[in-house]
Amino acid sequence: MTDGPGRPRRETVLPAVPALGGLYAAGARASLRARLSPAGRAAAGRPAPALPDVAHVVRGVTADADHLTAYQHLLGESATDTLPPGFVHVLAFPVAMSVMTAPGFPLPLLGMVHLANRVEQRRPVRLGDRLDVRAWAQDLHPHPRGTSVRLVAEVEVDGETVWTGVSTYLAKGVAAGVGAEGTGMGGTGTDGTGTDGTGTDGTGTDGTDPRPLPTARWRLPADTGRRYAAVSGDRNPLHLSVATARALGQPRPLAHGMHTAARALAQVGPARGDALVWTATFGSPVRLPATVDVAVARAGDGWTVTGTGRGGRHHLTVGVAPLVGT
Amino acid sequence: MTPSSTLGDPGTRVGDHSGAVPGGTRPAYVLGGNRTPFARAGGRYAHASNLDLLTAALDGLVARHGLQGERVGEVAAGAVLKHSRDFNLTREAVLGSALSATTPAYDVQQACATGLEAVVGLANKIRLGQLESAVAGGVDSASDAPVALNDRLRRALLDLRRARTPQARLAVLARLRPGDLAPEAPTAGEPRTGLSMGEHQAITTAQWGITRAAQDELALRSHQRLGAAWDAGVFDDLVTPYRGLVRDANLRADTSLEKLAALKPVFGRGLDAPATMTAGNSTPLTDGASTVLLGSREWAAEHGLTPWAAVVDAEVAAVDFVHGEDGLLLAPAFAVPRLLARHGLALEDLDLVEIHEAFAATVLCTLAAWESETFGRERLGLDGAFGTVKEDRLNVHGSSLAAGHPFAATGGRVVATVAQELHRRRAELRAAGEDRPVRALVSVCAAGGLGVAALLEAA
Repeated sequence: MTDGPGRPRRETVLPAVPALGGLYAAGARASLRARLSPAGRAAAGRPAPALPDVAHVVRGVTADADHLTAYQHLLGESATDTLPPGFVHVLAFPVAMSVMTAPGFPLPLLGMVHLANRVEQRRPVRLGDRLDVRAWAQDLHPHPRGTSVRLVAEVEVDGETVWTGVSTYLAKGVAAGVGAEGTGMGGTGTDGTGTDGTGTDGTGTDGTDPRPLPTARWRLPADTGRRYAAVSGDRNPLHLSVATARALGQPRPLAHGMHTAARALAQVGPARGDALVWTATFGSPVRLPATVDVAVARAGDGWTVTGTGRGGRHHLTVGVAPLVGT
Repeated sequence: MTPSSTLGDPGTRVGDHSGAVPGGTRPAYVLGGNRTPFARAGGRYAHASNLDLLTAALDGLVARHGLQGERVGEVAAGAVLKHSRDFNLTREAVLGSALSATTPAYDVQQACATGLEAVVGLANKIRLGQLESAVAGGVDSASDAPVALNDRLRRALLDLRRARTPQARLAVLARLRPGDLAPEAPTAGEPRTGLSMGEHQAITTAQWGITRAAQDELALRSHQRLGAAWDAGVFDDLVTPYRGLVRDANLRADTSLEKLAALKPVFGRGLDAPATMTAGNSTPLTDGASTVLLGSREWAAEHGLTPWAAVVDAEVAAVDFVHGEDGLLLAPAFAVPRLLARHGLALEDLDLVEIHEAFAATVLCTLAAWESETFGRERLGLDGAFGTVKEDRLNVHGSSLAAGHPFAATGGRVVATVAQELHRRRAELRAAGEDRPVRALVSVCAAGGLGVAALLEAA
C-alpha cells in the first residue's frame, strides 16, 4: 500500500503510550528552535535531511471502556464493544507522534497540515484486545507547498496485523531533500475551490456535475475541536480555540481531520462492513463553528462521503470500501 | 371456510366469517371515532398536556357511544413528543376517563405513524379473537413538549445520585460548567442525519422536481375540502369541542393561491434547486388528540353500534434515507404497492385514497413515484408505473395541511374520517339499488424513513 522503503529495521520500544501533551510541548519547542535559530532560518528552503530509519513500538495497548464510549458517542455511533477504525487511530497516534518529536525528525511538528489518511482494517479490533502498535515515518517527498511525509502506524493483535493507518502530512515551506517521484497520495490540501460546487441550479443541463444533494448536515459548534481533543487526547492547538489557532496563522480553530473523517465513516454506519479500506482526502479546512452538508453515495462495492461547506467549499471526501484480496 | 385456510390470508373478505375463530381471523370494524379539534402550537391548548388531550378525546368517544363504565378490551395510543413520566400515558388516560378502570391499555410509538399502527395492532387482535373491542388513539402537544437537560448536566445529576461520600458529590459538581445548565434545544431533526424533516423533504422535492405551484394547489385544495367538510357536518360525529375550540384552528378555508404564493420558502434554501416549501404547503406544529373505536360485529351489535368499515389489512415499509437511497418520507410509496398486490388490487380499485400531508410535496413525490415508469420497474419490480390516483379520490375531506398534524393523532383522525365516509358511500350505493366493495387506502409516512399503509373496506 505504500511506495516507500516500508517498515524500518530498527525499533525503539517505548514502555508505554507516551502522553500527547508532553509530545506537543516538546514538538513546539523544537519547531520554535528551528524557526528562531540562525541555523534553522537558513535551513528553511534548503533540503531537509532524510528520515530516521527507526520504528517506535508500544506493546500491549488496550482500550478503556469509558474512553471508547465517549469517542463513539461524540461521533454518533452506538457504544458497541467493537473499536471504530478511527478509535484505533486515536490509540496508535501517540506512537506516531513520538516518531515525529524524536530527535532527528526533519520536519517541524507544529502547523503541519493533514492532507490525506488511509486505513486498512483486516478485522475489527475489539474491546479487550491487546494491541501492539508500531509507527514510523516514510516517503519524504517534495510538495508544491513544502514537504510531505507519511506516518505509518501498524497494529497487531496476537501477531496478526489487523489495522494499518497511513497519514500524509504537509510541512509548509520546507523543501525536501530526498525523493522526487511524487507529491504523495490523494489530497490537494488547497484552501479553496475543491472539485465541485459549481453553483449551478442543480439541473446539470450544461454538462457540469451538479453538487450532490445532501443526505445529512453536520452542525459543528465552536467547541468541536475541544470535544474531539477530549476523546482523542490530541490537543493540537490548531483545533482548540481562536487564540491558539491564531498563533498558528488560522483565524479560527479548525475541525480535526480525523474527527470529520471518522464522522463520515460513522455516517455510513454498519454498512461499512468489518474488513475495509477507509480513505480521507482533505480539502479546504473546516473553520469552526461550521455547517457541513454531507452526501453519502454508493461507489462501487462501497461508499463515498463528501463534505461540502456553505458556498460549495469542498472540505473532505471519504471513501469506504470492502477490503478484498487479503 | 376453515381456520387453517384463513391463516395467513390477509385478504379475508368482509363478512366471510361470523364469530371468533381461535387462531383464525374475522373482520375487525371501525365503529366510530372522536377527536379534539386540532389547535396550532401555542394556541388554545398551550397548557394542556398529552394526558389532558388524550383523556379529553377518550371521554368524548365514551360519551358519544355510551361506553361509560364499560370495560373495553384494550386501549392503545401514543405520543411522539413524550415526557418520560408518561411511560404509561394511555393507561393513565383510561384511569382518568369514564371507561371502567379495569380497561387495559398500552402505549405505542412509531413516530407519525403511531395512530395508524395503534389501529392496525388492535384490529389484528380483534381479528384473532383476542379482543372484542378496542380503542386506538394518539395525541401530541407541540406546545407542552419535553425540554431535555443538557447531556453533561443530566449525566452529572445521575452520577451525583450514585456518589456515596460528600467528597465524591463535590467532585461531580466540580465537573459542571455554566454552559452545562442550558437545556438541550428541542429539534425535529433525524438523529442520524441532523436534517430536519422539512429539509429532508426539500431534498426529495428537488429530486422529484416538484413545483411550488403544484404544492400550493394541493395545500389550497386541502383547506377548501376541509372547510367544506366542516360546513357539511362531516365532523359532527367525529369531533368534540375542547377548551372553547370547535373547529381545527389551522383551517383557512378562504385562503387563495395568491396568498400561498406570497409566502417565503422555509425549507431547502441551501440547495442548488429552487426552494419551494413554505409554511403554507407544510404542516404546522399542532396540538390535538384522536381516538377510534374498533370492535367485532357481535360486540357492535350488542352495543347498538353500526360498523362503518373493516380494517382489512396493513403493510409497513422503511426506506434507507441514511445512504440517500430514497427520500425520508417515501416509505409509503413502497408499502402501498405491496399491500395492494397482496389483494390483487390496483389504485383504480380504491374509492378513497388518504395520503397524509406531512408536506404537500410528500404527497406529490409519492404520486410522482407511482406514476414513474422507471420507479415502477427499478424500485417496485413492476412492468411499468404503479398507477395514478385520481384527484377526486385523494384526501376528499382535506388532510393535515389544513387540519394540522399533532403527530400521533393524525392516524386516528384519518381512519375515523375515511371509515365514516366509506360507510356513507356504501349506504348511498345500496339506496340506489347497487352494491360493490367500497375501499379506502390510508397511508402515513413517518420519521426514521417509516411508512404504514392500511386497507379499509366499507361495512
